[in-house]
Amino acid sequence: MKSTGTAAAAETEALPTSATKLRALLLEDNPLDAALVVRALFKGGFEVAADVVQDEAAFTKALRTHPPEVVLADYNLPSWKGMEAIKLLRAEGSDIPIIVVSGALGDVAAVECIRQGATDYVLKDGLTRLPEVVRRALREKKERNLRRQAEQDLARKVDELARSNADLEQFAYVASHDLQEPLRMVTAYTQLLAERYAGKLDANADKYIGYASEGAQRMQVLIQDLLAFSRVGRNGFTHGNVDCNSVLEEVLTSLAPAMQECGAVVTHDALPSVWADRTQVAQIFQNLIGNAIKFRGQEPPVIAVRAEPADPCWRFSVSDNGIGIAPEYAETIFVVFQRLHARTEYPGNGIGLAICKKIIEHNGGRIWVEPQAGSGSNFKFTLPGHGPDPADGARS
Amino acid sequence: MKLLPELLVVDDNPADVALVSEALAGGLRHTKINSVGDGVEAMAFLNRREKYANSLRPDLVLLDLNLPKKDGLAVLAAMKANPDLRRIPVVIFSTSQLRKDVVRSYEVGANCYVRKPGNLNEFFAAVKSVEEFWFNFVNLPPRGE
Amino acid sequence: MTNGTDILLVEDSQEDADLAIHALQRERLANNIFIARDGEEALDFLFCRGAFSERSFDAPPKLVLLDLKLPKVNGIEVLKQVKGDPRTSTIPVVILTSSKEDKDLLVSYGLGVNSYIQKPVDFDQFRETVKTVGLYWLVVNQQLNGVKKAAGQASS
Repeated sequence: MKSTGTAAAAETEALPTSATKLRALLLEDNPLDAALVVRALFKGGFEVAADVVQDEAAFTKALRTHPPEVVLADYNLPSWKGMEAIKLLRAEGSDIPIIVVSGALGDVAAVECIRQGATDYVLKDGLTRLPEVVRRALREKKERNLRRQAEQDLARKVDELARSNADLEQFAYVASHDLQEPLRMVTAYTQLLAERYAGKLDANADKYIGYASEGAQRMQVLIQDLLAFSRVGRNGFTHGNVDCNSVLEEVLTSLAPAMQECGAVVTHDALPSVWADRTQVAQIFQNLIGNAIKFRGQEPPVIAVRAEPADPCWRFSVSDNGIGIAPEYAETIFVVFQRLHARTEYPGNGIGLAICKKIIEHNGGRIWVEPQAGSGSNFKFTLPGHGPDPADGARS
Repeated sequence: MKLLPELLVVDDNPADVALVSEALAGGLRHTKINSVGDGVEAMAFLNRREKYANSLRPDLVLLDLNLPKKDGLAVLAAMKANPDLRRIPVVIFSTSQLRKDVVRSYEVGANCYVRKPGNLNEFFAAVKSVEEFWFNFVNLPPRGE
Repeated sequence: MTNGTDILLVEDSQEDADLAIHALQRERLANNIFIARDGEEALDFLFCRGAFSERSFDAPPKLVLLDLKLPKVNGIEVLKQVKGDPRTSTIPVVILTSSKEDKDLLVSYGLGVNSYIQKPVDFDQFRETVKTVGLYWLVVNQQLNGVKKAAGQASS
C-alpha cells in the first residue's frame, strides 16, 4: 500500500483523534491539486493512503494492484478524461465510488458525469465539502452491500426451503407409494383368513385375525390419505379461472347421500370465480362441508357458504351449527393426522384440514377458523381472484 | 370339443397368484391355472420348452408388468412377434395406474388392461369378471396343435 | 361435435344398432354413441377425415364395436387399418359379429382385435352380451382417456 504525493500529510498538524483510514486513487496531473485534495481529506478526519495517476494505463494498473475504496478524478486531464475513468470503472462492473474533483464544471457536464456513473462531484474551490461527500459515498456503498447480502441470504433460504419441501413431499410420496404393495398383501390375506377360517379356529384366533384385519385396512386408508397429501403441489396443477358455483354444485351432488341421511341443509351466496386448480378447489369444499356434516351436533347440520371480496383475493367462509372447536385447538386442527376426538366418536384420519391448508397455501391463500357466537364452527379461507397480470411480468 | 379353459398367470408375487386361484376356486368354469414367476419362464412355458414340453397353450394370459428377468411388456412384445403366440389374448393385470403403463401396454398390443384392486373383494370381482368375460362371452382363437 | 364420443358402433343393421344402444344406455354405460353404417364412414370417423375432419386424434372413442359384414369397406379391412396405424392402434376394438367363420376369428386376433364375440341370435341374449361387453370394456378395463401425448391434462 505505497503512496506517492502524500507529502502534505506529513505536516505538523496532528491527526484528528479518530481518523478513518482511507485508501484512495487520485486521477490528477497537477501535484499541487493532488496535495490539496489529500489535505482536505486529512482535515476531514481521514488518514489517507493515496495513489496518484495521470493516464489510463496507470489507472488500470492501480485498480488492479491496489484497489481503492474511493476514486477521485479530475475532470480535465490532458491525456485522459475523467469521464473515461468513470466509464471504464462502471464498464467492468465496479462498485467503487468515484468522485469528480474539478475546477470548473458546467451543469451539463456534471449531470453527464453522474449519468455515466459518477457518485458525486466537488469543485476544487470547495474542497471542504470533500470529506463529507466521501463519507456519504462510502456509507451508501456499505448499505448497498448489506442489502445485496440480505437479498442473497433470503434467496438462498427460499431455495433451501423449496428444496427441503420438495424432498419431504417426495419422501412422503415414495414412502406411501412403496408401502402400498406389502400392505395390500397383509390386507388381502388377513381378510381371506377372516373369511375362510371364521369359526374354524378358536375364539381368540377370530378376534386376533379381526384386529389384524382392521389395522391393515386402516393403514391402507392412512397411506392413501398421505399420498393424497403429498400429491398436493407435486403434480403440475393447472391453474385457471374456476367458477366456484359450479364446483360447489358438483361437491353437493357427491355429498348428497350423506346430506340426505342427516337432513343437512347447505345454503350459499352467489360465489365468485377464483384463480386456482379446479380439482383442488373441489377438494377444499368437499373437506370443509364434509366435516361440517360429520361433526354435527344433535340437530341436522345447517351449513352456509359465503364469499366476500378481499382484493385481490376472495374470502370464503363455511360455517355450521355442529359441535364446534375449542379455541385452544384452532391451530392444531390443521396439522396432519391431528384428531380431536376418539375414532369411535367420529371417524376419519384427521387429514382433511391439513390437505385444505396445503392446497390453499399453495394457491397463495390462508385458512383459519374463527370463533362464532353460539355453537358450531366458521372456517374461512382466501383464494386469489385472478391470475397474474402478464403486463407486470410476475411469476404465477 | 371344448376343453377346460387354460389360464396362464405371469406374476412374480406368489401371494397374488394364490389370490387369483382363490378368486376362481369353486367357480363354474373350472379354469385350469398355470403360473410362472418371471418373463423368461413365461416364454419357456409359451414356447413349450424343456420342462414345459407337455404344457398346453393357454387360452388367456394374465400378465403383470413388473417381472424379473424379462418384464411384462417384453413378454407381450415377444408374443406379438411370434405368429404362433400372437393371437393369444393378453390381459395386463397390474397395480400400476400410471398413464404411461396403460398407453405402452395398448401400444405393444395388450388386449386390455385391468388394475389390480387393493381391496380383496374388488380383487376377486375383477378376476372373476376377467374369467367370465374371456371364457364365457368372448370367442377365443382355437388353441391350435 | 363428435369429439366426446364414448362408443363408435359400426353396424349396418338398424335393428341390431337399436338393440345395442338400448342395452348400453340402460346401463348408463355410455352417453355418446355414434353409429357408422358402413366401413368407409367408420374409417373416416376414426381417421378424422372427410365429413369428420373436425374430429381430433386426441379424442378417440373409448371403444369401437365393429360388425364384420359391412357395406363399402368390410370389418376386417377396418380392423386392419385401425390397428395398423399408430394414431389409432390403441383404441380398443371389439368385434361383434354374426359370422361363425373360424377364419374370421383367426384373422381378427391376428390383426390385433381386442376381443371377438359372436352375436347371439336371441334378442335378450344379444342385449345381455352388449351390456357385458360395455361393462367390461368401459368399467373393468383401464382406458386411455383419449389423451396420449400431452402431459398434465385433466384426467377423466
